Order: sequence, then structure tokens, then C-alpha cells
Amino acid sequence: MDMAEYHETHPLPFIVTHWINLVCMICLILSGFYIHFPAFDGFMGVARGIHVLCGIVITINIIVRIVMTFIVKSAPGNGTHETKADIYSWLPQKDNRHQLTAWIGYYLFLRKEHPLGGKYGVPQKISYVLIPFLILFMAYTGFALWEPTSQLPFFLAGTEAFGGMMSMRIIHYFMMFVFILFMFIHVYLSFAEGGKGMMKMMFFNKEHGGLTYDMKTHNVSGEDERNLE
Amino acid sequence: MKSEATASELENILELHGVTRRSFMKLCGAIVAAAGVSGLTVPRVAQALEQSVIGAKEGNLYPVIWLEGASCTGCTEAFAQLRVPDPASLILEMISLNYNDVLSAGAGESLEEAKSQTIAAGNYILVYEGGILQEWGGYATRIGGRPSTEILTEAARDANAVVALGSCAVNGGWMAAHPNPSNACGVQQYLTQAGISTPVVNVPGCPANPEWLVSILTDVVVMNSLPQLNDQNKPASLFDQTIHDLCPRRGHFENGEFVRQYGTKEESENYCLYAMGCRGPQTRAACPITLYNDRRSWCVDAGAPCIGCCEANPNDPGDNWVEVNAPFANRHRKLRIGDWQFEPQTLCLAITGILAVCLVIHGFGMKKAGRLDGNVRFEKKRRWDAKHPDRSIGDYDEPLTIIHEDGTKETVPAGTNLPGVPESDEAWKKQHAAQVAAKKADKKGGRK
Ligand code: HEM
Ligand code: HEM
Ligand code: SF4
Ligand code: SF4
Repeated sequence: MDMAEYHETHPLPFIVTHWINLVCMICLILSGFYIHFPAFDGFMGVARGIHVLCGIVITINIIVRIVMTFIVKSAPGNGTHETKADIYSWLPQKDNRHQLTAWIGYYLFLRKEHPLGGKYGVPQKISYVLIPFLILFMAYTGFALWEPTSQLPFFLAGTEAFGGMMSMRIIHYFMMFVFILFMFIHVYLSFAEGGKGMMKMMFFNKEHGGLTYDMKTHNVSGEDERNLE
Repeated sequence: MKSEATASELENILELHGVTRRSFMKLCGAIVAAAGVSGLTVPRVAQALEQSVIGAKEGNLYPVIWLEGASCTGCTEAFAQLRVPDPASLILEMISLNYNDVLSAGAGESLEEAKSQTIAAGNYILVYEGGILQEWGGYATRIGGRPSTEILTEAARDANAVVALGSCAVNGGWMAAHPNPSNACGVQQYLTQAGISTPVVNVPGCPANPEWLVSILTDVVVMNSLPQLNDQNKPASLFDQTIHDLCPRRGHFENGEFVRQYGTKEESENYCLYAMGCRGPQTRAACPITLYNDRRSWCVDAGAPCIGCCEANPNDPGDNWVEVNAPFANRHRKLRIGDWQFEPQTLCLAITGILAVCLVIHGFGMKKAGRLDGNVRFEKKRRWDAKHPDRSIGDYDEPLTIIHEDGTKETVPAGTNLPGVPESDEAWKKQHAAQVAAKKADKKGGRK
């Protein structure tokens, strides 16, 4: 049985930013592939338009998400109504301490029991914390390639440091694959671990029952048998 | 006044060259429009040229020394091909080419002597063609037994300016490509290291477009100033925009109309060469405006994708056009770790493929272990906590609360098995099997 998920764990603003993130990222990857190699005719202007638009939107979105992490409250665990500033879920937290090897062991089938932890487990937390930096770096390399902004000293300095436009392009391209790899793992684990319940939560903001957790005892505190949809 | 230009004197000279006033004015217009004399108007250029032509008659030609380092002489050849008596060559009448390996009439001792005198007299311009090979004490290229690095230092120190002509002179060009055994670099970097502060104007290209040199010489000789330079010390008006932004095929690019193979209808319709590896989007130069060969054509017009020959960062020999752009027909350059070369794309696809396979295998494992779809079996106690009871993270002694479907609450002591959590491994598997069976039945039922 999985942990319950309440609105406090995934506040609506974050579901909205996640949606924007997801849509932009998919559009960026598809249009990015087309820009890299235009496999069919008639789409380049549109592809570049979509790509840059989504690039700008995702950049703003991630900045908004970062700001919100300081001002919106969320529960740092699944199955609890207790909230703290969302930033707490991004920093190391007591619920996860000493649990990294436990997690790796679990994913490698070396142990059967799922480790206890905060809202984000250790590997999850590490990868989610990296994502905003990746997006900002992606934006940086993207704007360094984009003609209207490429000559601004801020971007030009990076282009020179990386060894020219070609290197910048390849870095931009590599970074896209970092996202693709992240997405593969992220989506797979969301499906595999979270299952339907968590999909309904992340996409349609629907709560579901399950085990409850107490942030003070750092332990499972009971079970919520209700079907909360 | 003697130095004042008069139409008649100029016309005499023009006539001598078989140039009409009309084509002279056209030349002035061309310089203003394309060759990048910043902020000038046609009449001003004409006036300045006229005055300097007068000066020329009086023997005050602006001395130019043209040195070659590690070069193929291609830039000299390109320059020499300016058609005579094309009006552009008139500008040559403003300079006195006191030293050039290929074009000078003299040779040997007498030519070297002419150079020494020019340097001693000062107030000259140095045009440098070819890369600087720093290895082996500069002895890879030498004239009269002296390394060309020494010759460069000597000639550059007192020059008014050095024009680094061609990509090799800008940053070593193809000679600087990996593994760069001769430690090639460009003029600017070499002079900076040698502590010489003579201004350097970088004019990349392989070969550099002769008209760009003409425009710079015009600025220097006529206006007595260097053109406006960007932060790579390239003339801003020539090297600040990308070829892509100036390209006549840009419309096809935006419409997504590409040449994908040579010898096709798309090629004959002059579609965009992006899919053939065109480097126009990332190369900054005015080729589509200036054109080559007396403004006849240029690479893309001739049906060849730009190979980025103007890519050259004067401070970074590694950013040379060959290494950055080869293989020219691919979207990306090849990357290299040691001597192992690979395509970025191949690496990316390989890693992605491997990850996908791993995830699929993992997925089957998850299925077999009965962990899919939220069927998670949490540890009763953190493993670390079990081993370190004195420093335990969790508190496992509090009573548990069950919230029933109707919302009523029930408190049970710590350690009680919760309804959704089977006690044993066996029971867990059984529960999972029951769930799977129920699901299957559900599906069958649904179908009927
Ligand atoms: C099947 C689809 C997906 C599901 C079920 C899912 C689920 C989740 C969940 C549960 C979180 C934790 C967020 C929170 O607690 O607020 C999360 C975070 C995140 N997801 Fe997804 N995700 C999906 C697809 C994607 C895709 C395609 C991307 C784009 C690459 C993406 C990017 C992110 C990022 C960047 C975070 C970081 C945390 C945040 O912004 O809140 N997700 N996802
Ligand atoms: C965040 C802001 C972003 C901006 C402003 C941006 C901008 C650009 C621009 C202007 C290009 C065209 C480069 C050229 O060929 O001239 C480009 C190419 C590309 N972008 Fe982005 N981008 C951004 C984010 C992303 C993201 C997030 C991804 C993928 C996840 C991505 C993937 C790509 C790919 C694959 C290419 C093709 C590169 C190539 O030619 O090999 N971009 N981007
Ligand atoms: S041919 Fe090259 S420079 Fe011209 S529009 Fe196409 S990609 Fe750009
Ligand atoms: S179009 Fe490209 S390859 Fe041709 S001369 Fe210009 S920079 Fe060089």
C-alpha cells in the first residue's frame, strides 16, 4: 500500500507549474529535434517560433517555481496535512537521513522493503534539485544561440568560454538529452511507483488515501482508508 | 593650394587607368555600402580618395609591408585576382606595397633591404598572412635563415597597425587543429605574448575576401583611422552579423524548404542548404553582401553550403574553423577524447538507448516483484534506525490512527498491522496476486 496524497503535499500552484513545465519541455524537445535536423519540409519557421516561445515560457516558469518554493507552503511528506515552506522539501531533511543506500538497494532489488522518507526520496530530491539549474543553464545556452540575444556580453562571454557557437550548440544538444534521460526515469518511476493515484494527483489535483505519515515521529502514523476522489 | 584636390588632376589619373568618373563614383558607393567604411557618405569617400590620389602623385604613398608566415599564399592570390583595371585596384595606387613575397618585383637581398628601410622610416601598415608556428623556436618557417616569428615581431613593433589577413593569421586556422604539433596561433595572440601593443585588425576567411582588405586599407589610408572593431578586433560592420541573417536563401529556411541531396530539384531551385550542413547560422561574416570574385558570387550562391571558414577566435587557436566545423556536411562537429573521435549524436542516442533498455528490464523486475502501481511495501523501521537504536531518526512507539472509509477514526497501538499492510512476505505476495487477479477479472468483465 502506498502513502496517501493530500492537497497539502502537492499544492495547486505546483501542479500548474508542473503542467507548464511538461508541455513546454515536450514542445522544446520536439521542435529542438526538428531544428537539429529538419526531417520534413515546411516547418522550420514555426519550429523555431515554438522553440523560442516555449524556451522563454519555461524559463519564466522555473523562476516562478523557485520563488514560490520560498513563499508557498507544502507538506514535506506524503500522507500528512502538516505544511512548511516548500523549500524544506528541497533541502536535506531528517526523514531521509541515512536512506540513500537503502534507496539504491531497493531499486536494484537488493532489498524488498521500500525505504521510509520525506515527500521526495533521496534520489528524487537530488534529481529535482538539479532540474531548475539545468533549465536555467539550458536557457542560457539557448539564448546564447538565439540571434537577437547572442551578442549580449552576458551570453557572448559564455560562447567564448565554451569555444564558439558550435560548442554552444553541442552543449545545448547534450543538455537536451540530459532532460530526455531525466524524463525517461522520472516518468517511468512516476508510473511504476506512484501509479494511477499519483497521476490523478499530479495532473488533476485529486487526493487519494493510503498510509499516513507523521512529520514529528518521522514514521508511518496510520492508514487512511478513504477513497478521496 | 597644392594639396587640394582638383577634378582635372584626378580625371587625368582616372583616364590613365581607363576608369570613367562614373565607375569611380560607383566604386565610392560600393565602399560605403558594403566594404564597411563606417559612417561615411559617397561624396566624402570620393573627396578623400581624390585628395589621396593627389598625395599619391606627390610620392607620399602609404607604405605597406605584406609578410607571410605559415601560409599557402591563397590570400595573396585572392587579392591579386582583383581585376585590373577594376576601379577597386585604383586603391592600390594609394599604397606602396614595399614588401610582398609574391607581388614585389624585387627579390632576395634588395627586397629585404627595402623592408628594413620601410620599418626604419615608420608610419606603415603590416599585412600578415598565414599562421604563427611557435614550436621549434619559430624555425618551421624562415626567411634568409631567420625564424618568421622574429621577422613578425620586428615588423609589427613599429607598424601603425597589423592586419591579420585570413583565418590562419587570425588564430592559426587549420594548422591549429588538433593535435596542433607546431603550436600554431594567430598574430594577435603572438604579439600579445611578445608584449607588443600595436593594434591588430583581424580579417578571417579562407581565403580572406580581398575587398575586406581594400576596405580596411581605405579606412587607414584615406580616413587615417582603423574601422570600428568588435571585441574580437574584427571590423564590426563586416563580422557582426551571421551569414544566415544576410543570406538570400533565408526565406527558404524559414519556410522549411531544404536541399537534402545534391543533384535534386530542390538544389536547382536554390533551396536552403541547412540540411547539407550549412554553417551560415553560426558564422559571422558579410559574404552574402560583399560576394567574391568581383562581386559575382559566393559559396551559397554557387550551391555550396557555408563551411564556416570565417570562424576564428583570435584568442583561442582551438576555436579554428576546421576543427570547429569538420565534418562539414554534418550538423555538428566531431568530438574527441584523446584520439577517439565520435559524433555527439551517436553518443546521445547510444546512452538514451541503453537507459531505455535498462528501464524496460527494470520494469519487468518491478512487475515480477509485484511492486507496480503503488503496491509499495514500506519498511517497518528504517534499517539504519534498527542498527542505531540510540540515534534513531524515527519514533516507532507512537500509537497508529486508522481513518475508516466513513471518516471515523480508530487508534491502535504501535506495531499493529494496518489493514492495507500485510504482515508477512507470503501475505504480501498473496495480496498482490489477489489484486492482479481482480484486475484481470475486471478487464474481462469490462469487455463483455
Ligand atoms: C507521466 C507524467 C508525469 C508524472 C506523473 C509526474 C509526476 C511528478 C511528481 C509527482 C513530481 C513531484 C512534484 C511535486 O511534488 O510538486 C514531479 C516533479 C517534477 N516533474 Fe514530473 N511528472 C511527469 C512528467 C514530467 C515531465 C514530462 C517532465 C519534463 C521533463 C517533468 C518534470 C518535472 C520536474 C522538473 C519536477 C520538479 C519538481 C516540481 O517542479 O515541482 N515531469 N513530477
Ligand atoms: C530555455 C530556453 C531555450 C532557448 C531560448 C532555446 C533556443 C534555441 C535556439 C535559438 C536554437 C537554434 C540554434 C540554431 O540552430 O541556430 C535552439 C536549438 C535547439 N534547442 Fe533550444 N532553446 C531553449 C531551450 C531548449 C530546451 C529546454 C531544449 C530541450 C530540452 C532545447 C533543445 C534544442 C535543440 C535540440 C536544438 C537544436 C540544436 C542543433 O542545431 O543541433 N532547447 N534552441
Ligand atoms: S543556405 Fe545556409 S546561410 Fe543560407 S539560409 Fe540556409 S542555412 Fe542559412
Ligand atoms: S560563406 Fe562561409 S565558407 Fe564561404 S567564404 Fe563565407 S564564411 Fe567562408
